[in-house]
Amino acid sequence: MNILKRYGLPIFLVVLLILPNLLDPRWQAIAITFLIFSVVALSEDIVLGKAGMFNMGHALFFGMGAYITAILNSQYGWPILATIPVAVLVPALFGIIFAGPIVHLRGDYLLVVTIGINIVFIQVLQNNLGGVTGGPNGIFGLDGLNLFGWQLTSQLSTYYFAFIAMLVTLAVMRNLEKSKAGRALHYLREDSLASESIGINTRTYKIFAFGLGAGLAGLAGTVFATQYSAVSPEAFNFMQSVLFFSIVLVGGSSIPGIFLGVFVMFILPEIFREFSTWRYFVFGFAMILTMILRPHGIWPASFGKIPKFLIKDTDHGA
Amino acid sequence: MAHNELILTNVTKRFGGLTAVDDLSFNVEDGQIYGIIGPNGAGKTTVFNCITGIYQSEEGSVKWRNEEIRGLTPYQIVDRGIVRTFQTIRLFSQMSVAENIMSGRHIKSMQSWWHGIIHTPASRRDELANWHKVEEQLDFFNLGEFAATPTGSLPYGIQRRVEMARAMAVEPTLLILDEPAAGLNDKETLELLETIFKIRDKGVTVLLIEHDMDMVMELTDYLTVINFGKKIAEGTPAEIQKNPAVIEAYLGSEDDDE
Ligand SMILES: Nc1ncnc2c1ncn2[C@@H]1O[C@H](COP(=O)(O)OP(=O)(O)OP(=O)(O)O)[C@@H](O)[C@H]1O
Ligand SMILES: [Mg+2]
Repeated sequence: MNILKRYGLPIFLVVLLILPNLLDPRWQAIAITFLIFSVVALSEDIVLGKAGMFNMGHALFFGMGAYITAILNSQYGWPILATIPVAVLVPALFGIIFAGPIVHLRGDYLLVVTIGINIVFIQVLQNNLGGVTGGPNGIFGLDGLNLFGWQLTSQLSTYYFAFIAMLVTLAVMRNLEKSKAGRALHYLREDSLASESIGINTRTYKIFAFGLGAGLAGLAGTVFATQYSAVSPEAFNFMQSVLFFSIVLVGGSSIPGIFLGVFVMFILPEIFREFSTWRYFVFGFAMILTMILRPHGIWPASFGKIPKFLIKDTDHGA
Repeated sequence: MAHNELILTNVTKRFGGLTAVDDLSFNVEDGQIYGIIGPNGAGKTTVFNCITGIYQSEEGSVKWRNEEIRGLTPYQIVDRGIVRTFQTIRLFSQMSVAENIMSGRHIKSMQSWWHGIIHTPASRRDELANWHKVEEQLDFFNLGEFAATPTGSLPYGIQRRVEMARAMAVEPTLLILDEPAAGLNDKETLELLETIFKIRDKGVTVLLIEHDMDMVMELTDYLTVINFGKKIAEGTPAEIQKNPAVIEAYLGSEDDDE
């Protein structure tokens, strides 16, 4: 078990590194989908899992990143990769501004507000506000990847683009775990009053979590726009947010749990087309059972990541 | 001279029709172990909540080192060197003892929010230095063997110690303890006494609520007794013991609890 804990993730990443070369295009596409939705789910984990804020509008930030890339590319001719900073920073900034007045809300109220803003976002896209979002059909015909004049239009390049986005996300989450800011999120989730009473400005860190989660979701949005060469509103609607929310909750706010959740929710329906109509049904039951049997999720987050020098040998008692 | 003095003047806190703290004034001087006693529901915890920013009193002032702290938020008050523990223990129960104590290092850590995204050599040094500070507290409170244990699974007495260790990790000037001996057995209570003396010897002022009369008499330098939110007496333990109003209000009602 310890070996799995230690080497599980590196082995998984090596597999993901080699995998696409063994797959045919259809399976490559599925693998890319897995990577993109994993990034979004991991970024939702920062807000919901780590900071414990009931954010049910996360698809909005994902969509915002995707649309920014699509608009900058199709209307202004920016290369896809050049859109990344904007597609990350604008959702992050929006997340921060949006979070400011709402993070103090109790869980259920926050839930309603985030659902509301997600719905508004979809309405804005569908009504083609400002004439740049393409209405209900969205935007299509984006360019492929292009790096210093190299055309990276193969699906394999997109795969590695998605893979890098996931590595970046995992690296950020790893850094977060071992930092004052990341711990502050854990503390405030467990007991907000105790956190304030030990000197933590919980509001600042809640807003930070929203900004960071939104920025990473925006990055996933750029990869999404690249993969499909198109964006349209329904990919980012409230139902998608529900899925991301459930994946974190059912998975248990841990990296393996989230991968598992993404696989069940987004990949199984791709593999078994018939399953796609059943997935809400099956997942609904899975959610109910998990919450009853394992309230901390299928693969609960583990704490106790403390430096080795603090762990004393207790075999002989004190 | 900037004295490390806590001065409450005419503090009043109401909950609807109930006046939980009524026109209360007292001074805690630098280096004291100061006790607040009173019957159940007298308003002791509410006073602490008014000092630590959890509640804001409707009237009066709370001055710390010549600064008005009434109206500041809890974390701002911690930043000024006042840290508290809770009557009902409030630890981060899923997290380990070491992580709980590390929360006390939050305001001492030099890390910025963006170090949560990208580490630098300086942030790594800071991280390590703070974990070493946690180790100091683990040693001081004799908690080393539980470093990696989730606090929720520990016995009550040890949880109380963790909560104090967490508060001490902030390196406070004024430590506020709300019934630190509640739920402790005799041996643990004795250890607690020693610990509190050691904390005072480090130069920390201690303000505490305590129900156990024997302990209060032994531990504190000075006392304020409150009942129905009002001060009914103040003085040294010896003076308080002889005070008829105290015997009437506090000791009289002592019989029916516990
Ligand atoms: N948040 C609150 N809302 C309403 N009433 C409150 C609140 N907090 C405390 N009270 C009331 O204020 C009074 C004083 O309560 P407080 O907890 O300060 O007493 P205490 O002296 O700490 O008692 P104990 O010895 O039982 O801890 C009580 O009557 C209590 O019911
Ligand atoms: Mg009390």
